Amino acid sequence: MTPSAVRIDRLEKSLGSKKVLRGVSLEARPGEIFGLLGPNGAGKTTTLRVICTLLAPDAGSVDVLGFDTRTAPEEVRRRVGVVTAEFGVYPRLSARENIAYFAELSGVLDGDLHGRVDAVIDRLDMSSFAQQRAESLSSGQKQKVAIARAIVHDPPVLMFDEPTSNLDVLASREVREFMVEARGRGKCVIFSTHVLHDAERLCDRVTIIHEGRVVAGGPTAEVRGPHEDLEDAFLDLVETSP
Amino acid sequence: MRSTLVVFRKEMLEILRDRRTLIAIALAALASPVVLYVISQVSSRTASETYTAGYSGDIPAGLGVLFSSTGLKLEPVADPATAAKQQVDIGIVFAPNELDEYYDPTRQSAQIADIRLQEILSKYDGAKVAASLQQKGVDPSVLDPLPVTVHPLSSPTQAAGNGFLSFFLPYILITMCLTGGLSAALDTSAGERERKTLESLLLTPAPRAQVLVGKTLAVTAISLAAALAAIASMLIALTQVRFGPGQGSLPVTLNPVAAVVMVWLAVLLAIAFSALTIALGTLARNFRQGQAYATPLYFVTIFPASIVLFIPDFNPNLGYYLIPILNAVLVLRDAIVHGTVAASSLAVTSASLLVTGGLCFYAALRLFTREALLVRS
Repeated sequence: MTPSAVRIDRLEKSLGSKKVLRGVSLEARPGEIFGLLGPNGAGKTTTLRVICTLLAPDAGSVDVLGFDTRTAPEEVRRRVGVVTAEFGVYPRLSARENIAYFAELSGVLDGDLHGRVDAVIDRLDMSSFAQQRAESLSSGQKQKVAIARAIVHDPPVLMFDEPTSNLDVLASREVREFMVEARGRGKCVIFSTHVLHDAERLCDRVTIIHEGRVVAGGPTAEVRGPHEDLEDAFLDLVETSP
Repeated sequence: MRSTLVVFRKEMLEILRDRRTLIAIALAALASPVVLYVISQVSSRTASETYTAGYSGDIPAGLGVLFSSTGLKLEPVADPATAAKQQVDIGIVFAPNELDEYYDPTRQSAQIADIRLQEILSKYDGAKVAASLQQKGVDPSVLDPLPVTVHPLSSPTQAAGNGFLSFFLPYILITMCLTGGLSAALDTSAGERERKTLESLLLTPAPRAQVLVGKTLAVTAISLAAALAAIASMLIALTQVRFGPGQGSLPVTLNPVAAVVMVWLAVLLAIAFSALTIALGTLARNFRQGQAYATPLYFVTIFPASIVLFIPDFNPNLGYYLIPILNAVLVLRDAIVHGTVAASSLAVTSASLLVTGGLCFYAALRLFTREALLVRS
């Protein structure tokens, strides 16, 4: 069996007085798109934030490629790229400057910097607006900047948190295509979404979270089971969960 | 330290492209000359203005000449007491061997006219007494049994210039160190949350302390630039504007000790204010909220600077130099007025401001690494 890229074991997390995660366990592997599914407020974003060390677990453990998020957070962050729905960019920097800034902070050395940035700009087809200030870019273009800065240090684990929720149809499709391409390059892609239709099309395996608990997990087809689609399966699981 | 340099470079680039910050620095440089020009105009007009004294009765012989030479115009009125309320600046009733004066102290023109009248009467009384003594064969010098010859050890006009500087320079230094970098500080802290870049920044492996040092250094550089630009423009303006007729320009050359002390204090204040405003900005959800949090700082800066104005001969013990901002005002005042600063005062002030900056930075770092920062945003 392929070793896991991300392993979560009985993760618990409270935010304030609210218990958000109640013993979540999952594994995501290299070369797959792993769907983290659930309704809004299920705990998907909190799970991702724990994986990328923005939040510390209250109980349980999380490791990324063998690095524990508690003891080696910087090593974990070096190996993770995250794209969120709220893709803020620095408005007074150009698209290229935005990407270069994150590349440098992620440890890309000066000698590699221009090459890496150029490569990402080419790969995401951003050449036409790379020199423009970010404040003048469209939402789709800003999302590309957000993706570019998340992958410019070539992390083996990529996490997408509702990446298409603020995008139009064309831009959404480009993001989905990018995820598929990343999988093809052997990356572990974790895709968090409440749009089950997208997940069904893209994900090799999924875990469904409801009210901080895992209610189902496994290959997408297996989780769908006899239902017509993943949405029906999800509704059935949620209604029957304790 | 690589991350610090990367963050510093990026923040400087963003700041220098931010119209708000550039306008703040430009205003800082322009504000002093404009204010000084207005002050000089007002003071010139006040000094050369002729005020009106409404009078009744017979003017004693010789007194009229003194009036016209002191900028008080005598004008006959029916009722000086009534006229002094509005029609003229001051009312005088000349009676045999006495004089009644009427003036409204709430009117500034009346106050100035009153001062001029007292000067005139003092001269007139002196001349009359001297003449009477001479008539009786007595040497008028008996009225001055202990003549004093004053030998000022420094130029009184230089002292006046130093007095002026000792109030304005600390005030401008402190105000500009705060306001010059405020917009940049809020942009780099609250702005990160507002435009939703904070999470991406914290996701990089760059140590957060290094990121924060880079931000603090950038804001410090801008604060310092604003403060020094404002002070340089003020010093240049002071050599050009005139205060009152015939006085010429105030001699406001900053002595070398004061110049060095001022730059050193500017660095310390800029560091402390940068760390403080970044800490406040980190607490805020957006730029506007950050501005609301920072507003009380204006009062904190104004009070210590004002102490020199209200208590000019305030002689503090060393303990006062522990109080941040007030200590900077006191040290700079010493440097300007006396041309020297006690080593102990400077050491205590430096330590106090550095500790203040360090504590503010620590607070900012704690806030910057709190989970609640992300959860709230």
